[in-house]
Amino acid sequence: MKVDVQSLGTFNQLAHEGAKQATQSMSQMTGIDATVDVTKISLVDRADIGEELGDDTFVGVQFGFEGALGGETVLVFDEISSEKIVEALPGATADPEMAQSSVKEIGNIMMSGFIDGWADYLETAIEHTPPEYIERTGANVLPKAPDASGSDQVFVFRSEVNWLGESVCFYIYMLPEYESLVTLMENHADAGDGAIPVEKLEVFNQMTRKGSEKAAENVEMMTGIQTESEVSQISFCPIEDVPKQIGNDTYVGTVVEFTGTPSGFLLVLFDEASAVTIAEALMPMDPSGDGLTQEHEAAIEELGNIMTSGFVDGWANVLQQSVDHTPPRLVHDMGRAIVDPLAAQLGQHQQHAFIIDSQMKTDEVEFTSEIHALPNEAELREALDKLQVERADQTEANAEEIF
Amino acid sequence: MKVYDGSSQSENARDTDPERAKVGIAEYEVTTNGAVLTTSGLGSCIGVALHDVNTGVSGLVHVMLPTADEMDDDNAAKFADAGTDLLIEEMERAGASRRHIEAKIAGGSDMLDFSGSGSGIGVRNVEKVRETLDSYDIPIVAEDVGGDHGRSLRLESQTGDLVVKSADQSDTRL
Repeated sequence: MKVDVQSLGTFNQLAHEGAKQATQSMSQMTGIDATVDVTKISLVDRADIGEELGDDTFVGVQFGFEGALGGETVLVFDEISSEKIVEALPGATADPEMAQSSVKEIGNIMMSGFIDGWADYLETAIEHTPPEYIERTGANVLPKAPDASGSDQVFVFRSEVNWLGESVCFYIYMLPEYESLVTLMENHADAGDGAIPVEKLEVFNQMTRKGSEKAAENVEMMTGIQTESEVSQISFCPIEDVPKQIGNDTYVGTVVEFTGTPSGFLLVLFDEASAVTIAEALMPMDPSGDGLTQEHEAAIEELGNIMTSGFVDGWANVLQQSVDHTPPRLVHDMGRAIVDPLAAQLGQHQQHAFIIDSQMKTDEVEFTSEIHALPNEAELREALDKLQVERADQTEANAEEIF
Repeated sequence: MKVYDGSSQSENARDTDPERAKVGIAEYEVTTNGAVLTTSGLGSCIGVALHDVNTGVSGLVHVMLPTADEMDDDNAAKFADAGTDLLIEEMERAGASRRHIEAKIAGGSDMLDFSGSGSGIGVRNVEKVRETLDSYDIPIVAEDVGGDHGRSLRLESQTGDLVVKSADQSDTRL
């Protein structure tokens, strides 16, 4: 299967429009003014789907759909959001059963809007099953990803909807069946230069996994804190949506520009609490002040450097070429403001962007780190083009065998 | 884009609270009823806030790149020149007059400019916004641009005040 950048762009737009339609339906019923913040398409390891949901409890309204496109979709609210939405409905009630049926009803209306949006665009019929109400923890709220003909990686469409003036949001996930998505994408693709074989994107994910494993090893070596890398995914969205992929909280970390094919930017970011924890693990003595001091920042800079080298080495090993990068620049700012100048620099030459994400966690102490790579899109395609996927029939793609 | 004229006011909102609207990157909003327009996480991007002192019609656009020239992109709000043009046009459609519009701008930071040429996107964004506003004879009455930090904005369109927030310092009211 090949996907081209244009059809990824079209499908992203489509998912975004669908989510907007769903949100409008909800706004009409509840008076809640909400907007669709981000829509992205990700190619992600089956086991990592929904990792971002953590261990919180969620309420979901789930559907199956079939027709020109088949699969599963779910509307996910955290508990607070679902309560607020129920409260906003006419005839609000404290009765839990009634509340549950209200959520189901609103889910039904929203998701019908979502699926109808797709069907309209594709000029075809998509049927959906009656909604199912579920309450589960973390990723369990999501349906099992449909079979992907032996592949461990699946496409996930995810929209984040934010409620204006409230700190609540909810998500729409769609997990299409691989085959029907492939067929649709091929039918809507312009089989021109931009086409990328999906297997190669999958390999790229593995490269990222390797890179982040190496980065995690380096963290462990320096701090003695056992660190695991989690979630490697490659996502695709319009360039102006790139900054929105990062939270709006304040982050501390480093940014480098890397050169070669592809060139681009690599960010290593810590939330402030994690930055303090991890920096103190590196410092020989107690810091001289409270909070995030200059000593902390210096430690983060060093750590960012080590993680960047690890990550880039992981890539270089797989690509069998060296990847050079600039010295790291320390950043300590609003997440989106950090990413915005990088997206703008890429945006001078491209309308959409691939974002490569991975995350690191540890059970020992409170510490999360995100690594994001923003490659030049045309150069990424070129790099993928050079990859030789010789054994397309193998189920377990192995980066070293493939390259 | 939607024009906030009060017709979609939520039943649950208290009457005294002005409506709020969030402006994303490469998006704009116009309000005729004193809504609060916000945008967040400006790095090299710029928020152009316009306010008609006579009618109160206000608008905010969050632009990302200097110029739409030579770009095959139909989203005008993404660009400093085309986005500013578009905002003025839409405000006039909503009853504003360019003779009474005042501008406040913020953003255009030079953080993370790897070009090394000293004229990064932030600087060029600021130049393009100035140039475009100048071509309409719209004065910039206040600004908070450049530097190496991010900003978030809140345009209080009842007064035309633009509140600029950065990660490390308190609010500045322009």
